[in-house]
Amino acid sequence: MTGNDKDSAMRIIDTVRGEGRNTLSEYEAKRVLESYGIPVTREMLVGEKSGVVEAAAKIGYPLVMKGCSPEIAHKTERGLIRVDIRNEAEAVRAFEEIVKGMDGGKGAVLVQEMIRGRRELVMGLTRDDQFGPCVMFGLGGIFTEILRDISFRRAPLEKKDALEMMAEIKGHGILDAVRGMEAADKDILADMLIRVGRIGVEIDSVQEIDLNPVILTGSRPVVVDALIILK
Amino acid sequence: MFYPKTLAIVGVSADGGSVGFGNGILLACRAMGYEGRIYPVNPKGGTFAGLTIYKRVEDIPVELDFAVIAVAAKAVPAALRACRAKGAAGAEVISSGFGELGTADGIALEREIRGITVETGIRVIGPNCFGIYCPKSGLTFMPGPDLSRESGPVAFLSQSGGMSIDFANTGKWMGLRFSKVISFGNGADLREAELLRYFGDDPETRVIAMYIEGIEDGDDFFRTIRDVAAEKPVIVYKGGLSAAGQRAVVSHTASMGGSRVIWPAVLRQVRAVQVESMMEMAEASLAFSLLPEKTFRGISVLGGGGALGVAACDAAEANGMVLPPLPTERKALIEGLLPRPGSSAANPIDVANPFVPPKVLREVLLRAAEDDRIELQVMISLLYHYKSIGQAMGKPVGEVTPYEELADAVYDAVEQTGKPVVLVLPNPRRGLDDFDVVEMQERARKAFLERGIPVFDEIGDALRAIGHVHKYYGEKNDRKR
Repeated sequence: MTGNDKDSAMRIIDTVRGEGRNTLSEYEAKRVLESYGIPVTREMLVGEKSGVVEAAAKIGYPLVMKGCSPEIAHKTERGLIRVDIRNEAEAVRAFEEIVKGMDGGKGAVLVQEMIRGRRELVMGLTRDDQFGPCVMFGLGGIFTEILRDISFRRAPLEKKDALEMMAEIKGHGILDAVRGMEAADKDILADMLIRVGRIGVEIDSVQEIDLNPVILTGSRPVVVDALIILK
Repeated sequence: MFYPKTLAIVGVSADGGSVGFGNGILLACRAMGYEGRIYPVNPKGGTFAGLTIYKRVEDIPVELDFAVIAVAAKAVPAALRACRAKGAAGAEVISSGFGELGTADGIALEREIRGITVETGIRVIGPNCFGIYCPKSGLTFMPGPDLSRESGPVAFLSQSGGMSIDFANTGKWMGLRFSKVISFGNGADLREAELLRYFGDDPETRVIAMYIEGIEDGDDFFRTIRDVAAEKPVIVYKGGLSAAGQRAVVSHTASMGGSRVIWPAVLRQVRAVQVESMMEMAEASLAFSLLPEKTFRGISVLGGGGALGVAACDAAEANGMVLPPLPTERKALIEGLLPRPGSSAANPIDVANPFVPPKVLREVLLRAAEDDRIELQVMISLLYHYKSIGQAMGKPVGEVTPYEELADAVYDAVEQTGKPVVLVLPNPRRGLDDFDVVEMQERARKAFLERGIPVFDEIGDALRAIGHVHKYYGEKNDRKR
């Protein structure tokens, strides 16, 4: 991971601002993350039904398809996600259903590689009134809200801070080699946390970030869904 | 500011008696034996406590080092300027009626004070505070005429005046010795970060404790406490933690933040020692003052009482320490010293009854310390049981309890082994008919403290305090590696 390009992140944010929005779409949020060298799913944004087959072929089956619009912060609740799409017919049908579900609102469909992994983590950023940007790490997916097994550190983070955040959650054992799964690559995880913190330090207009889930595929973490809120 | 030779107290009234902040502080500093010269000021003049009251600060015949300002809020700016003109490098403003009121007038006056500090260079503690208690010079709070004059390694800083006097009073009996205690109130000029930096550099301060509610500049505070805590233990009691989710937020991350989560995270990040009550803060301060600057992974616990074993092991483990079981040979050796049956020297070492003679306990401490894994020993002494001995013999409990001999024995064991001993002195007898026990226990505490042995009331308190020291130096050593 080498990317650390504030300028290209700022271009995306300025565009969003220019449109009078304060929420980035998943696609836009992922591009910001990518410009900071944070590993995200391979994906393409498709606006027209005619583009679905080609995009699907490029990303490769099986796929995940999601309605992508800045108005949709929590897609699952809205039924705008289709997973494990295995062929062209399924992809086209998913596209049609998702577009219908979006009430004809603005937005497109995100065609995304399906990340396989049973372990879901969360990373995020919040701005504390007294301490400014603080990075979060914890158990992801549905467990985030239920268990609230999370840790925080103020940005900027040093590597030891990031490693401590991982050690601090009660469920830290999930990062080890368990039940035939590889141990998570803690160097990459630490690097991701440091970079999330750097976004908070370098870009004042970023108010909140949610990377949930970050899925471990083998030892490797990948950001599967992302939300960025501007001030 | 801490050792003024000349001190103006602005706002002393000739007929005020002991009422009023100015009069109160004057009497308190006198009672403490403050050695500098005091110059009371009041436009009405007169005398108080044998001192001439000057009508104006300008009339004071010497250069001032420091001033206590205890006049009505609106008169404070002029008093500060006058004291500065007379040479005062600093002042504490006891008066209230500033930003804490939340009124436009109050806020404006506080801003004016800040302006005066910038303009004239005078440094101000307060307003709305108790100011400075410095045992070495005898400067003290108004409600602290009988605080200790013994100096020591602990500095305490607090927004709250009530907390500062409570902590100073607690320290007096618990065995804390202070370098300086500062209540900074609204903190119009000097406040948490700058005072922390001062204590970080202060050669008289080895342990810093602080009570904070809010901070002015999160970034400055973070950097300062991180740097200071890298050198000296900084014990933090944060008051007023609020739950998350007060603001409207969209992300899960933000909804799970909030000061109740972020503050502890930040304090861990900077390696501060976090405590959750004033007593825990005092106990941690005592442990840091009297224990060597190192980790204590393996400990032995020596004592008696029903749930001793379970309580000691649980509390040790919860605080990152262990009680290594003593090997068979050493166990047998120690059991040979103790009354049989009833004793057990597995670690914890159950001494069977509370009347084991001090010289035997000394032997047990010496033998247990020969195990290399033991780095610190905790001795639980149930001295209150001597009341029944006293009753049987028709003598006061204070006379039959061998606490002096015990303190000597423990001191001797510490000297010989080089391994610290911490004493636990529980007392379930505290009612009106047990004042004799309470008094004896406090005399015993004093005897141990005089020999540099920290004393706690309960095993849980002791191990929590030792755990703070263990953890702090563990992390400090990790950093150096």
